[in-house]
Amino acid sequence: MGLELSIFIDYGPRILVGFWLTIKIVVLAIAIGLPLGVFLALARRSRLALLRFAATAFIEVFRNTPFIIQVFLIYYVLPFYGLRLPAEQVGVLALAAFGSAYFAEVIRGGIEAMPAGQLESAHAIGMSETQAMRYVVLPQAVGVILPPLTNQMLSLIKESAILSTITVQEMTMTALRIQGETFRPFEAFIMIALLYWLLNEVVAIGMRRLERGLTRKTPRSTTLKVEGGR
Amino acid sequence: MSRDAKFLELIEITTKFDTLTALDKVSLTVAKGEVVCIIGPSGCGKSTLLRTVNWLAPPNAGTVRLEGQSVGQAPERRQTGRGIRALNTFRARMGMVFQQFNTWPHLTALENVTRAQVVVLGRSAAEAAERARAALCDVGLADKIDDWPEMLSGGQKQRLAIARALAMDPSLMLLDEPTSALDPELVSGVLAVLKSLAEKGMTMLIVTHELGFAAQVADRVVFMEAGRIVEEGPTSQDLHAPKTERLKDFLAKLTATQMPSAMAQKVVAHDPI
Ligand SMILES: Nc1ncnc2c1ncn2[C@@H]1O[C@H](COP(=O)(O)OP(=O)(O)O)[C@@H](O)[C@H]1O
Ligand SMILES: [Mg+2]
Repeated sequence: MGLELSIFIDYGPRILVGFWLTIKIVVLAIAIGLPLGVFLALARRSRLALLRFAATAFIEVFRNTPFIIQVFLIYYVLPFYGLRLPAEQVGVLALAAFGSAYFAEVIRGGIEAMPAGQLESAHAIGMSETQAMRYVVLPQAVGVILPPLTNQMLSLIKESAILSTITVQEMTMTALRIQGETFRPFEAFIMIALLYWLLNEVVAIGMRRLERGLTRKTPRSTTLKVEGGR
Repeated sequence: MSRDAKFLELIEITTKFDTLTALDKVSLTVAKGEVVCIIGPSGCGKSTLLRTVNWLAPPNAGTVRLEGQSVGQAPERRQTGRGIRALNTFRARMGMVFQQFNTWPHLTALENVTRAQVVVLGRSAAEAAERARAALCDVGLADKIDDWPEMLSGGQKQRLAIARALAMDPSLMLLDEPTSALDPELVSGVLAVLKSLAEKGMTMLIVTHELGFAAQVADRVVFMEAGRIVEEGPTSQDLHAPKTERLKDFLAKLTATQMPSAMAQKVVAHDPI
């Protein structure tokens, strides 16, 4: 089977339109999902049992069910409650919720990797839980958090392809359409595979830059080492 | 006067960890300006007692008061936002120094000392930096202001931790075995700083095994065993003429293993730095 190069030229622009929507959806989902993930991670450590329980339940549900089912549930169930959202918005919300559950676990892991004395010394000097996290624990934890956080972002980008099942005209949906019209699946899918790859590389490189920028200031990038006590 | 005598009060503190009773109805009163050393075998509840004072280890029963105001009263009802804010205010007034230093490795020495001043006390950056420089100077770290904790020796880290606490202008210092994690040759520098603090009239509660230091600095020595205060009295009496057999035994064991005692005596005489 030879490559039909004209497909790339004829359908490339349509693919790029889908690619642009994929980018928009993914960026929005991360922009919502990341703060939500931080909130969930902190909520899981809250003094309030109810908040702790709600956060844990949310995280467990989104981590232990297939993303495609989450998408279907949100897309088909919300209208029953009178909430009729465009498919793209449902896609962003579903992706943000799904991502936030994983982000929360990564952030929690990073916080828990810090020596207990760090949080304790912050509390002892009069910092509230939020201040202790913001000024003492999280700045040290970023070095531990960022690499796995990047991985979660990359899988979020790949999962966005699932949104084609609820008619979101993102990149995978576009490729499926083109394949239907041309009967040339190989050309259609190779194009989008390359673009997903490109997007992931860009995100990975950006995150590595960020990681270096944030941790260059201190002599040791990851401060997992317990202080003192030789 | 009586307000000063009852500067800090721990009243019938009981703390349980599952079935273990770490503190068993412990009461202790500390006067303003007093230096109290707490000694006792490992696991007897010294750290738990110190952590009760600033409510880091909330007890199952008992009350802590600072200058007559309740820091915490157990069993505590659910902690409200206001309760937590009040507690944080008390904590800011009590400087705590840990065995493992717990300096903040992502901040420079200066930032270690300014951060809480700004965040907790609301001081301006300039004001905090000025206070921090003075505190770092007091502990002999004037030339380490821009260093990372990572680059400091254990003794310097501990002095940084002391400066961090001092810069908050606390009315009370809590020190939990401040020299136990240090190489022997670094102990004296830290003790010298503490001694000069004591001389300036700082109220201090110090868990320590440095008997020579305790003999010089403490007004009172408290001997604990198995979650209780077994003996408590003026330093000279406790260390030189213990009333209970248990304290006698403990002191004998400690002096047998503790050659630093003599060393501490010698070096504490020096000024800080
Ligand atoms: N957070 C905790 N959970 C369970 N047990 C604890 C905890 N903290 C202290 N303990 C126990 O309480 C007892 C007193 O501990 P601690 O106050 O640290 O003793 P010390 O400082 O005198 O060595 C010990 O038996 C210790 O194992
Ligand atoms: Mg201890």
